[in-house]
Amino acid sequence: MSGTTVFKAKKIITMNPVQPEATHVAIRDGRILAAGTEQELAGWGDHNLDTSFEDKILMPGFVEGHCHLMAGGIWQFTYVGYQDRIDPDGKHWPGVKSLEEVLERLKEAEAKLGPEEPLVAWGFDPIFLMARRLDKNDLDAVSSDRPIAVVHSNFHLMTVNSASLKLANYVADMGVDGIAIGEDGTPNGELQEMAAMFPIMRRLGINLRELGRSRSSIIDFGKVCNRVGVTTAADLINDLPDEDVAEMTSITSEDSYPIRLLSMLNALAQPVDETRDRALELAHHSTDKLRLGGVKIVTDGSIQGFTARIRWPGHFNGAPNGIWNILPDQLNELVSVLNDAGVQMHIHTNGDEAIEAALDALEIAKAKNNRPDLRHVLQHCQMADRAQFRKMNRLGVCANLFANHLYYFGDKHYELTIGPDRATRMDACQSALDFGVTFTIHSDAPVTPMAPLFTAWCAVNRQTESGRVLGEYEKITVDEALEAITLGAASTLQMDHEVGSVEVGKWADFAVLEDDPQKIAPESLKDVKVWGTVLAGEKFQTP
Amino acid sequence: MTPRETPLPMTVLSGFLGSGKTTLVNYLLRHNEGQKILVLVNDFGALPIDEDLIESQDGEILSLANGCACCSMGGDLFEAFDAALKFEPAPDQLLIEASGVAEPRRIANFARAEPDLQLNGIVTIVDAANMEDGLQDPRLLDVMKEQISSAHILLLNKCDLVSQVQKNRARNKLKDLNDEVKPIDINHGRVPPDIIFGKGKAADMTAIETKSQHNHGDIFDHWALKSQKLFEKHALWETVSSLPSTVLRFKGIFRSPDATTAWSIHKVGAHVDIARIEEPSFAEPYSEFVAIGLKEDKISEVLEAAFQKDQ
Repeated sequence: MSGTTVFKAKKIITMNPVQPEATHVAIRDGRILAAGTEQELAGWGDHNLDTSFEDKILMPGFVEGHCHLMAGGIWQFTYVGYQDRIDPDGKHWPGVKSLEEVLERLKEAEAKLGPEEPLVAWGFDPIFLMARRLDKNDLDAVSSDRPIAVVHSNFHLMTVNSASLKLANYVADMGVDGIAIGEDGTPNGELQEMAAMFPIMRRLGINLRELGRSRSSIIDFGKVCNRVGVTTAADLINDLPDEDVAEMTSITSEDSYPIRLLSMLNALAQPVDETRDRALELAHHSTDKLRLGGVKIVTDGSIQGFTARIRWPGHFNGAPNGIWNILPDQLNELVSVLNDAGVQMHIHTNGDEAIEAALDALEIAKAKNNRPDLRHVLQHCQMADRAQFRKMNRLGVCANLFANHLYYFGDKHYELTIGPDRATRMDACQSALDFGVTFTIHSDAPVTPMAPLFTAWCAVNRQTESGRVLGEYEKITVDEALEAITLGAASTLQMDHEVGSVEVGKWADFAVLEDDPQKIAPESLKDVKVWGTVLAGEKFQTP
Repeated sequence: MTPRETPLPMTVLSGFLGSGKTTLVNYLLRHNEGQKILVLVNDFGALPIDEDLIESQDGEILSLANGCACCSMGGDLFEAFDAALKFEPAPDQLLIEASGVAEPRRIANFARAEPDLQLNGIVTIVDAANMEDGLQDPRLLDVMKEQISSAHILLLNKCDLVSQVQKNRARNKLKDLNDEVKPIDINHGRVPPDIIFGKGKAADMTAIETKSQHNHGDIFDHWALKSQKLFEKHALWETVSSLPSTVLRFKGIFRSPDATTAWSIHKVGAHVDIARIEEPSFAEPYSEFVAIGLKEDKISEVLEAAFQKDQ
């Protein structure tokens, strides 16, 4: 018989209403044997008492329900974003607050490169540096002969220098959409959307999809999670070819890999029947630390990119409606086929028209074949109104709300994209609670940084970057937000019987905190320090 | 990355499910006229290729006995174009079957930006029988409008299944959305490859045939001009840009007045492209042009007049 370990903590927040708090948790075979006081645990026999957490707070390991493996690999490029970020190895990258600081950072990075290497940077966001646009002349000052590409934070734009422009033969105004032209009538270095970026990316070897696939990316992704207390994370789109599944299985099965990883199959990369068959087959490859079998369906684009499908009255600034990645009729068919087969669906819906189309498709599928064993999830679900939450409740559909958007893009949504009425009801956590919709909140890392306590802070305070409160009513309490980033997320991933609370029988996965999120002021929730995690009883202190 | 010697001509084929894209693709593959066509399916829907054409299948790639190939490209355009440009043996034509929701303009833009690709045109196929239904669904309206308005070639398919009245209504609707392109009535996806691909490679115009092809000669008319004249680039651009929409395709090669530089010109719909030919394969300083239109529109008269007036 294997031994029993008891962790003593200052406080354990269990998310189990029967016993909301404990001071000790007993672990056997990687699972929670019991939680309570030392005396209550004594009946389980001999144990090793581990007091390393006696001045720390334990919570169920945080569950990030929507992010991407690329959050690890992206760090092979130089970070030039506006907000501070921490890389997988713990290096703190202060946000660069002016174009001068951006160029300074690029110069430092340039000096460290070998002769043939291009300089690639990421995270740049002109929304925050509005004094003037970054252009090729700025980058030419960093290097006139080494190709440079600065990828913007939304991954839909980049700014390049003259050496890069020359590689793709972008030397004159060719009248191509997306190649921005400067006052002198030649390309100014800004390239918009994939078509215009492709020739540069191809020639500089920038392949965003590869960023999520390599061994080092997957390992770095684990470090990103560990640093913010996450022990279960869902990679929300992947083509999952056999060789990648083999690699992911091998990496996650190592004792040193600190998280349980879920990866959702891209449902739009093959015909409907193949998606169904592949998802069912992948489910058989699941292990304790790698979960497969769910799928991702992308219906529309993004609100800040004006590509979300939104209903009347459309965009606040009059921009045309966004794009479908799948037509509503095709969505109906796909959803029915997958629902019938028992495949869990994560449906990307940003705009309210996309949410409506997804709910209609789920309604058709569930009216035919209810499958209460399956929990389908609307991902992002940013613009849902209260009628749509009522419908989610009727259909038993979950929501994963993009709370980080409130902070990062809330001002833009209020002023530009959808206007005050709809911006103040975005990512409506209180409405989800009102109508009993199982929900969680997410980062979509690397789109915004992964940090569940920050995401919880967003849902609690609904404060934008400029300090505006976006919809007082939709604020939720700290306890509700803590539940959303643990048990709520576990439920949307159909893992609430295994993770998400400190309860007998569940995995001994914990977030180890230096401060008590229930005691700290709600507006400081994001500042709670994370020591690291415990996975299946093993300690993973963040280096 | 190995750059191509000459850019790969790319055609975007757009249209809703059921409009006849599959039939058209099969028809084109069957009548490839010696060209290696690579078809990329930008869709999660299968594109069934006629079994008798298929020689072998290797993963996502179907190889055809006549040198053509079909490849499913998932949802990622970056990967798709990267794969197409690496494809061995190098294709002569790239045909992208855009899914019902893909914005054809956005896909076409890849060919306009990438030096190793050349835009051959956006072909949109619409179903004469159910086009109006699609235009009444507010969720689909803008997608369909975009497909029609961005087209350089419009094919009105299934004309044998509708009444004259229905057909006229469909034509009027198309005209409202795109009056620069004259729709071509077709049945069962049958349309000459010339219309879809133009004629051969842009820089290889030395073998111009004017005879009608297959059984399409009854409705299509070819026009050709071979001349010792030199043409000024901007003047020719003006002339070709103002050709009426009845000229479905126009292309050619010409020398400019300095006689040292050679250019290719290509018009489809309202889209005119002029590109420099780096190493002209033709020694004599002549120019030649070819055009295709519908017989009923008497394009030869229009073209003769245009070339007499301006040059």
